Amino acid sequence: MAVTIREIDGDELEVLLAKGEGNILADFYSKTCGPCKMLSFVLKDIAKGIDDVEIVLLDYDMNKEALEKHNVTGYPTIIFFKNGQEIERMKGLQQKPVILRMISA
Amino acid sequence: MTVKTKQFEHIITEQVRAEEAFLAEYKKGEYSFDQPYVKLNPYLIAPLTALVMFKTSVPVSVAIAVKGKESAGDLGFQFGPATEHMVPVYGLYGGYANQVELTLSSGEKTVLTIQTEEVPEKVKAPTKMETTAEYFQDHLMFVSPTSPALAAGYDYRGDVRWYGTLNFAFDIKRVKNGRLLLGTNRLVAPPYHTTGLFEMGIIGKIYKEYRLPSGYHHDQFEMEDGNLLILTQDLPRGTVEDMCVLVDRQTGAILKTWDYQKALPQDVGGSGSQDSHDWFHNNAVWYDKKTNSLTLSGRHQDAVINIDYETGSLNWVIGDPEGWPQELVDKYFFKPVGTGDFDWQYEQHACVVLPDGDIMCFDNGHWRSKVKEKYVPAKDNFSRGVRYRIDTDKMEIEQIWQYGKERGAEFFSTYICNVEYYGEGHYLVHSGGIGTYKGETCNKPPVQFRGEEEKDVVFNSITVELKDDVVMYEMQLPANYYRAEKLKLYCPEDVLTLGKGELVGTLGVTEEFSTIPPVEDGGMVPAQYHVKFGIEEDRMILKATFEKGQLVMLLLEGAETHSYFVPTTKRPFLAMCVGTFQESDERAVEFPVSKEGLKGEFKVALIVDEYKYDTGITVQI
Repeated sequence: MAVTIREIDGDELEVLLAKGEGNILADFYSKTCGPCKMLSFVLKDIAKGIDDVEIVLLDYDMNKEALEKHNVTGYPTIIFFKNGQEIERMKGLQQKPVILRMISA
Repeated sequence: MTVKTKQFEHIITEQVRAEEAFLAEYKKGEYSFDQPYVKLNPYLIAPLTALVMFKTSVPVSVAIAVKGKESAGDLGFQFGPATEHMVPVYGLYGGYANQVELTLSSGEKTVLTIQTEEVPEKVKAPTKMETTAEYFQDHLMFVSPTSPALAAGYDYRGDVRWYGTLNFAFDIKRVKNGRLLLGTNRLVAPPYHTTGLFEMGIIGKIYKEYRLPSGYHHDQFEMEDGNLLILTQDLPRGTVEDMCVLVDRQTGAILKTWDYQKALPQDVGGSGSQDSHDWFHNNAVWYDKKTNSLTLSGRHQDAVINIDYETGSLNWVIGDPEGWPQELVDKYFFKPVGTGDFDWQYEQHACVVLPDGDIMCFDNGHWRSKVKEKYVPAKDNFSRGVRYRIDTDKMEIEQIWQYGKERGAEFFSTYICNVEYYGEGHYLVHSGGIGTYKGETCNKPPVQFRGEEEKDVVFNSITVELKDDVVMYEMQLPANYYRAEKLKLYCPEDVLTLGKGELVGTLGVTEEFSTIPPVEDGGMVPAQYHVKFGIEEDRMILKATFEKGQLVMLLLEGAETHSYFVPTTKRPFLAMCVGTFQESDERAVEFPVSKEGLKGEFKVALIVDEYKYDTGITVQI
């Protein structure tokens, strides 16, 4: 049981969402942000114990259109999508149990 | 590199030791009314106070007269009969051979000379003072700083007659026991959230610190039964300045909590300074017994709101309705009526409910619109004190008084400030956050200019009192001050009580971070991080310098390891209400860890990015 985390861009996120199926956890991060770095380790830890959520990373500074489309105004922001629809989002660094609760909704 | 550690006694502990020392000194000597024991600044933090002690063979009362530089400046008080006399001396001048006259009810008189040191540069001298001794009498105008300055009290001439040496923040309020409630100097989270409130006598003695798990900011209010409403937040949830708590006056325990996230949406109605972190920015609270409700000022929603005391549900909103959802506008907002001038308030402070139900506040006017395209530049803007009359049945509002609009940008403060109601037609309006940068009126708090920019900032603070629209008092000071409060130094209820003050309430358990990243051993922590470790009685403080965006964790390694995420990302604080806690180096990080929940011996380690460093420090808790 584990999933891999991969970096994608805004276009790829739209393709994934357009399929309208599955669970996606998108992390909008910045390379110059301590909480984002820490969140990446939290997500890696979570990834080891799940198999039904695709975890994707989007560089905040490289995906302006995606920020606008999904109304992301700061980093880190994580958005959980189910069947192509946003279910919940969280701003700022989150602890593992909080994210696990989010994706098990 | 060995990390510097330092133990810090709480000021309450320092004060009790100072008290024990001067009492011992007094007991050793033979002091009489003619030659009394005199202790200047007995509680270490109020240099313009003293304590005079002596014995008399029979009970007599004592009258004190602290002589002014002219007779109108004399301050006096009468103390009741006793044989053991402890006479607080208030209102001394700095750098001056003060004459203090003591007169016994038996008729004997003694004149003491008390020499004080010059006041420090951070006690600012007024640049303008216009009033009369007849009007101002023996009051002082107390001000609490938000730019580099000290809290101080000024008499009718503008002479400093009291100042405090601690970094007191935010509101200064006198409570029913005559003491002052004011923010502590112990930072919990940047830029200005402190551990709680001090309850302090004018002599500088701190009787209590009321501690809160997520700290204090801006304002407090004493209830009829003595319990305290204190503004706070829940720091771990990531938002600030959106909660109020009722605190038990004896124990400091939280009795009730109001969470404004349950009363208002967080993403509508934002002011020009709003962000998601500080979405409401509560800067004042007022309890109204008639309606059993709390009135709260939310700077970042351009709104004064009223919520039910019991349920916390929203009753009404005073504010420009533009941009708010129509269903909220229809239910909670007022419609302006009347034929007189009317302006909504924007980014306001210091809401006050008057005896007749009118609402006063300081309308900072920052941005003066809900719509970005209509924002008013500072040079064309104004700030004012304003009084609104509201009809909560018809949901109508009328502006019935204001002062300040006519003064334009000269009186404009983007932040802080207050109003006071003394009686009908008798008000204080304090515009304490004025500033210019390179000669232009500031459109952001002047304390936000940092580094090289600071030298081009000119601070100003204008405090005005009006009686029937006649200006009776105006003081200008060359710094920014959060609030102005007119108080007398001598107050019958403020009785000096010996013994150790109390730390009440709780700092709570600091939130730990459960994920620890993989790291390599980095040896001793490098000098470049300038790591220092402070140990207070109830918490520990990591101070260091990190680059923006570095991943930092503090580890306490003992029988079990406690790990804490240390934020290094600097938020662009849009409401730097108090700038006195800012470090000159923007990379500076200060991170406190409460001792609650910790027991045993711990080695202190740091993770910085991919390395774990030893600090060489071991703490015993």
